[in-house]
Amino acid sequence: MKINFTVNGRPAVVETRPDQMLVDVLNGLGCASVRETCGIGVCGTCTVLLDGEPVSGCLLLAPLAHGRAVTTVEGLGGEDPVQIAFAEAHAFQCGYCTPGMVLASKRLLEENAHPGEEEIRLALAGNLCRCGSYVKIVEAVQRAAERKEDPWTS
Amino acid sequence: MTDSRVTGSARYAQDAEQPGMLHARIVRSPFPHARVGSIDPTAVPAGCVVLLPDDIRGLGRYGVQVRDQTVLALDRARYAGDPVAAVAAATPRESEEAAALVLVDYEELPAVVDVLDAVRPDAPLVHAAHEVSSSQAAYFGLRPENGTNICHRFRIRHGDVEAGFAAADVIVEETFTTAGAQHAAMEPHACIARWQDGTLEVHTGSQTPFNLREELAGIFALEPDQVRVVCPPMGGSFGAKTFLRTEAIAAALSRKAGRPVKLVLPRDEEWQTLNRHPAVLAVKLGASADGTLLAKQVTCYADTGAYADCGPGVAQKMGFAAPGPYQIPNVSVDACCVYTNTPPNGAFRGYGQMQSAWASERAMDLLADRLGLDPLELRLKNVLREGDRYCTGETMHDIHFAECLEAAAAAIGWRHGRTGKGLSVVLKGMQTPSRAAVEIEAEPDGTYVLRCATTEMGQGAIRAISLLAAELLGVESERVRFPSPDTTLVPYDTRTTSSRSTYMMSRALEAAVRDLGASGGRRGHGEIVDEGGLDPDTGQGVASSHWHQGAAAAEVRVDEDTGKIEVVRLHAAIYAGRVVNRPGAELQNEGSMIMGLGTALFEQVVLADGQVANANLSDYAIPSAADLPQRLTHQLLERQGAEPHGLGETALPPVPPAIGNAVASLDLHVTDLPLTPEVVLGAVDRALGVRT
Amino acid sequence: MVAGGTFVGIMVNQRLLAPSAFLSLRDVPGLDYLEANGELRLGAMTTHRSVELSPLVRGGWPALAQTFGVVASPRVRNQATVGGVLADADHASDPPAMLLALGARAVARSVRGEREVPIEDLIVSFYTTSLARDELLVEVRVPGRPHRAVYRKFRSRSHEDRPCVGVAACRREGELRVVVGAVAERPQWFPELCDPEGDPDAIGRAYAEAIDPISDVSGSSAYRRRVIAVEVRRALEELG
Repeated sequence: MKINFTVNGRPAVVETRPDQMLVDVLNGLGCASVRETCGIGVCGTCTVLLDGEPVSGCLLLAPLAHGRAVTTVEGLGGEDPVQIAFAEAHAFQCGYCTPGMVLASKRLLEENAHPGEEEIRLALAGNLCRCGSYVKIVEAVQRAAERKEDPWTS
Repeated sequence: MTDSRVTGSARYAQDAEQPGMLHARIVRSPFPHARVGSIDPTAVPAGCVVLLPDDIRGLGRYGVQVRDQTVLALDRARYAGDPVAAVAAATPRESEEAAALVLVDYEELPAVVDVLDAVRPDAPLVHAAHEVSSSQAAYFGLRPENGTNICHRFRIRHGDVEAGFAAADVIVEETFTTAGAQHAAMEPHACIARWQDGTLEVHTGSQTPFNLREELAGIFALEPDQVRVVCPPMGGSFGAKTFLRTEAIAAALSRKAGRPVKLVLPRDEEWQTLNRHPAVLAVKLGASADGTLLAKQVTCYADTGAYADCGPGVAQKMGFAAPGPYQIPNVSVDACCVYTNTPPNGAFRGYGQMQSAWASERAMDLLADRLGLDPLELRLKNVLREGDRYCTGETMHDIHFAECLEAAAAAIGWRHGRTGKGLSVVLKGMQTPSRAAVEIEAEPDGTYVLRCATTEMGQGAIRAISLLAAELLGVESERVRFPSPDTTLVPYDTRTTSSRSTYMMSRALEAAVRDLGASGGRRGHGEIVDEGGLDPDTGQGVASSHWHQGAAAAEVRVDEDTGKIEVVRLHAAIYAGRVVNRPGAELQNEGSMIMGLGTALFEQVVLADGQVANANLSDYAIPSAADLPQRLTHQLLERQGAEPHGLGETALPPVPPAIGNAVASLDLHVTDLPLTPEVVLGAVDRALGVRT
Repeated sequence: MVAGGTFVGIMVNQRLLAPSAFLSLRDVPGLDYLEANGELRLGAMTTHRSVELSPLVRGGWPALAQTFGVVASPRVRNQATVGGVLADADHASDPPAMLLALGARAVARSVRGEREVPIEDLIVSFYTTSLARDELLVEVRVPGRPHRAVYRKFRSRSHEDRPCVGVAACRREGELRVVVGAVAERPQWFPELCDPEGDPDAIGRAYAEAIDPISDVSGSSAYRRRVIAVEVRRALEELG
């Protein structure tokens, strides 16, 4: 069946099987940062924003994205304050979980401009990082929050 | 503009593609031990390629320390998950469907799934005879016991333990266990194999390119230079992606199909590929009334699963670290690597030394308790200091165990009260002997290219080694390029394991830069060899050319109604010598501590009748951001003029015993990992039973 | 039938479900709403996240908002629905126990009409409801009227673990309801053990004795029994 939606602001028209998941379709469109590795929605490496809200790309039947706007990290252009904060805080090791972490963090800061350490940990608990970069990831989110507050840089 | 990991443009082994490639899927035995009868692939659609035992029967056997493996199980499947066939198809989905259509006849055989059962005289044998490998990774004398499930036995004999115990005022004896664990790297095992003009080319996520080249050459009867191994960055590994994993199956399928074959493991198959050695360690420790250690005896069994892989090396390291970083005049260690009909166990961050640290450091606290001594004082009294000799006979240099211990104790306010607090100090060895070489090529545009076999798995190898090279060359690090290792282009290096690479490559780079200068500035080659090794019957020699040293401290609260542990504070003090890549070093400490936390509190591979029962990331729990202790801190102890000391693993082994000792300080006697609430509640019940 | 699709997604990925077609409720009008008029009415397609963040629910049924808010991760809560979590009847889900404790009823609609089904009659066994094959769960109704409620989620392993034991407790007009989830095929409610004047410890022990808990990777049956007694007591102490 044919579905249309937008990916990072650009229209996409895709022929998909009914049981194909969004992550598969996005990979086919060149968004390699969206990764499936657990298949049960617990690890977060498949995180995408669907109309701005994080969902698991591995559990979303692609047709359910029809008419929606999908955002992946490829759409942030490398200039997003969250990406810059992650890079400055060196909040990653192998980087596999990082795209999902960045998107989840971005949404967190939209909902809560001043999250405390505990709030950040809880909000990101669903994005697993086996390398254990959590300490610096929390620092990156705090850094991004401060940046947004600073009139000189926001 | 910013790091590729943050922009989403990072690419891993999993992303490699070749034109015309097929996708592979493995057919695996569901039984822990079975005779493999006929295999009927007739239902598999035409266009798929099926790999059957007869296709690989003539190929060489492999196994880096014991030559106990064939590309597919021949005649006998030895664990639930043992590959018996494989299929390749146009898409991953089709290969999955095709694999399900291969019909295999099995006749179940008695299986042994517990390591202590496996060493009994009546145990079913996983392998009847154990052929020692001649590979580069069989770097110590192996002591297999044919006709048993013991494929290696390592011993330390130092002094006279019987006399030592006879002279002791106090002796503590206890048996400790540690559960198996799964690396759970976020990127699964992934490789592509193809044949070009008689050369086998493999792109794979691996920490061990040259070992892989050697194994593949042996299997396919090729010269080493007819095998090309390329290792892109990995999405994590932690030891999972070492030695031969899926590459031979992909290569055999590729040869049969005449096309490249890509094999990416589905998540559940990770538990059927490689895990961490469960262990049982019996410790007997004797001391005089003033706390001087007099004798220590350790017997440990490392469950290596159905195939040895590097299990003998893990058992050996478990054995030589078992005495702990202490001056003990009489030491006897027996470490056995034991087969069971379970998935193979192999390299896992810590490499046997997490298991021995658990037993050793818990035993020290048992002793402190019996003696009525402060656990910190007991350790400081006996800890190895500069110039001391370890029980292997080697002299310890650049030693800072006491410093690490004091730093860890201070971090949790040890001297202000000990209730709910625990300490540990560990020593860890580095692969010895080993070789490292590197080449530097000067480009006309003023940049330099490093030809280096060190592989990147998130530990920051590319960054650290590039920084070292830039510093030695006197240029900015942006002028140094470090392409992914390709065995046709880089000189030999033992492998990227045991936290050796920054240290070894720093020395190889010094030699290469000198050579670059001396030879006219176009190309420089540097090579270093670290000699050493231990006699497997006495444990004497040089275990490690330098030692990884660290201590940890934990403060916990235990809910005595549910047994749940809350880690309030966790601190690790790790000797770094010289820090090269500071953010990378911090991340390695933090990451190791968090992995240690998982080992301490809830990680375990659960088996039911030899099959992994929790082969997914929900039923197998790994730490999330919300599992961090209230406060997690660490420090890197540095010394002016020191060599870089590897620290990719050091902060993992001390964490479980620090937590265990903290729990024990609340009168809860714990001996087994993980310390699940159920286990701790059992200790609470026993404690209450004793009190009432 | 696909509501949010998280449960269906898992089943498809595990190859436990391979239907020839899916029927998505996403664009069916009149299923996604959240309104209160004395009682709270949640359309079946209301997401967990909507319930979690709704000022209406947080104001009038705070424990319910909190319960929906401790499910899994924000990704799951953005996708999973009120109707879906009940229809899936996953024994480890948090919301069903809380809804039962609050005296909620599900509304099932078919060509034959509508009927109300109390939650305790809706969930029958593991992944099994009493819905007829042609019935669609369209709404959940939660009584208003002053009440106090708490939900406790006990995880034995990581923070992301499925609960080992979940306890929902509610006091309303002199009535007490205690419901234990995640330990058996359906939420465990024993009205005869819920003496509103009862001692929390006694009720906890009575519940532990009355339930035959499952064993799984989060805990053995015997361990769950111990935790049931403790968590029921704590829920009642918290409830006051």
